[in-house]
Amino acid sequence: MTSIVTSNEQIRDIEQLLYTEASFLDKADLDSWMNLYTEDGTYWMPVKPDQQDPINHISLFYDDRVMMEVRRRNMKHPRAPSKDYPVRSSHIISNIRVTDQNDAEGTCRVASNFHCLMYYNDRQTAFGGTYTHDLKRVDGDYLIHHKRVDLINCDAVHNTIIIYL
Amino acid sequence: MTYTTADIAALVEPKRLHRNIYLDPGIFDLEMQHIWGGAWIYVGHASQVPNPGDYVTLNYGKMPVVMVRDRQHQVHVLHNRCGHKGAKLVDKPCGSVNAFRCCYHGWTYRLDGKLAGVPNLGGYDGTGFDKSDPQYNMQALISASHRGFVFATLNPDPPELRTWMGGAGDVLDNLCDRAPEGEVEAAGGVLRYEHECNWKLFLENLNDTMHPMVTHQSVVDSALDYIKTLPEDSSRRDEAEIIVPFGASYENFEASGITGFKYGHHYDGGKTSIHADYSVDPNYEKAMLDAYGPQRTREILTFNTHNTLYYPSLTIKSAIQNIRVVRPVAVDKTIIETWSFRLKGAPDSLLQRTLLYSRLINANGSMVGPDDLTAYFRIQQGLQSTGSDWVEMHRNYGHDEDQGDRLTNVGTSDLDIRTQYAAWQHYMLRGAA
Repeated sequence: MTSIVTSNEQIRDIEQLLYTEASFLDKADLDSWMNLYTEDGTYWMPVKPDQQDPINHISLFYDDRVMMEVRRRNMKHPRAPSKDYPVRSSHIISNIRVTDQNDAEGTCRVASNFHCLMYYNDRQTAFGGTYTHDLKRVDGDYLIHHKRVDLINCDAVHNTIIIYL
Repeated sequence: MTYTTADIAALVEPKRLHRNIYLDPGIFDLEMQHIWGGAWIYVGHASQVPNPGDYVTLNYGKMPVVMVRDRQHQVHVLHNRCGHKGAKLVDKPCGSVNAFRCCYHGWTYRLDGKLAGVPNLGGYDGTGFDKSDPQYNMQALISASHRGFVFATLNPDPPELRTWMGGAGDVLDNLCDRAPEGEVEAAGGVLRYEHECNWKLFLENLNDTMHPMVTHQSVVDSALDYIKTLPEDSSRRDEAEIIVPFGASYENFEASGITGFKYGHHYDGGKTSIHADYSVDPNYEKAMLDAYGPQRTREILTFNTHNTLYYPSLTIKSAIQNIRVVRPVAVDKTIIETWSFRLKGAPDSLLQRTLLYSRLINANGSMVGPDDLTAYFRIQQGLQSTGSDWVEMHRNYGHDEDQGDRLTNVGTSDLDIRTQYAAWQHYMLRGAA
């Protein structure tokens, strides 16, 4: 995949959005996190490398706005047993490159690598892989239209994945 | 510790269970030998190996096995072990081969497991080694299938598979009958979910209808709270149809009933279940009516169960067309696999709903399965306590109604757990005797 050279200003905007998203996830603040997504935004974590289809194949996550709305409420519910434990993450995002761009539409596709350490229920887990963000300018600022998370071990046996990565 | 027959018998009483059955690695090893070696264990679906040479690998208990289709289209379940030095012959989750060939010394095997070739065979001349001796083949497990669902057993004299399923087999038949063509195929991949708990805790939860309104209150509340914010004319969403019934009342679950069978199988529902009010795709309804006519279609679609267990390995949801398969790893570790099925002849929307269900309810990232797992995990931890040695199962004891081939009781009873432990004793005591 070739990357497209963009202006310093644009790449800064994109980096800031990705880092802001990561910091909301670090704090498990899904209310703020959801506001970074367009109304028709989606979040996808496939279970297979190179998985093409979130509808006709199972996934670890595939949420639209409706499920994001349910999930952000559930995250804070006092009687969700699996949420009784603190969820703390540290995301590091790097290798950010723009791989597709459509100036007329105000959209671009951004590839990046991530490492995420997560502490949950007395266990620290290391997740890693690539992000693909489809971004869209809305009133001048980028929002996330679609995010795809490809874990390097997507098809392994996983325990609970308690929050978006 | 070493267990005598009397020791094992003493762990299970009519209304309570000794905590050691969840904690003791020695009991786990005996269970692997007597229950997981004695019962029919689900291996996979024949549609996963559609062509000669297609195979899938899995662990059967602790043993690597391979399900493979031979050139006569016969499906075999073979020990995945070379007859020479014991190396696993194939090590991918699935694939296709002309023959099995060991990566170490190149011994080759036919698709039915028979040893075909040994390189440089002359070195064995006069040594007593006989290549045609069946001990050098890939050894076969006894296997049988019902409507494509393949089971295997280490029991040399097993009951016939469908007979073993008893009345609970009606649910597996119903799952397949829901296909206009009367057949299903595995589709849409698998989720594998590590559970840090004993395998029996997962099984005990299947027809536990006293927990959803407690354990799953948060996701139901969250869904309802969101739905409240929507305009009244908003279209009904599949997600709401799936999540909201988990908050059904005690009375609702009580009315669904539990039915238990010999060998530990049981289901809840029958006349109704939490899946009963799903909307029906009109194209699916038409395909069913064309295939079966109105009366039979109604019979098929109104036989509405929630969870069905074929003790100890296979749990199915016929109305949803997904299954969860239990793969014990250690006394406190179990892998749960979720597979989805396509109803042949049905529109794609049916498989899509199955996958939506698997994702919303059973996935590692869902808001239902993780809350169940938290409860099992806490039991696994809590039972370390010496405050009491016993776990109770009194609910509606003494009111299990004997209907000949089955026992029935209200949906909130512990009939399901009593049914499982009758089978647990059957296998464990027979094995220890």
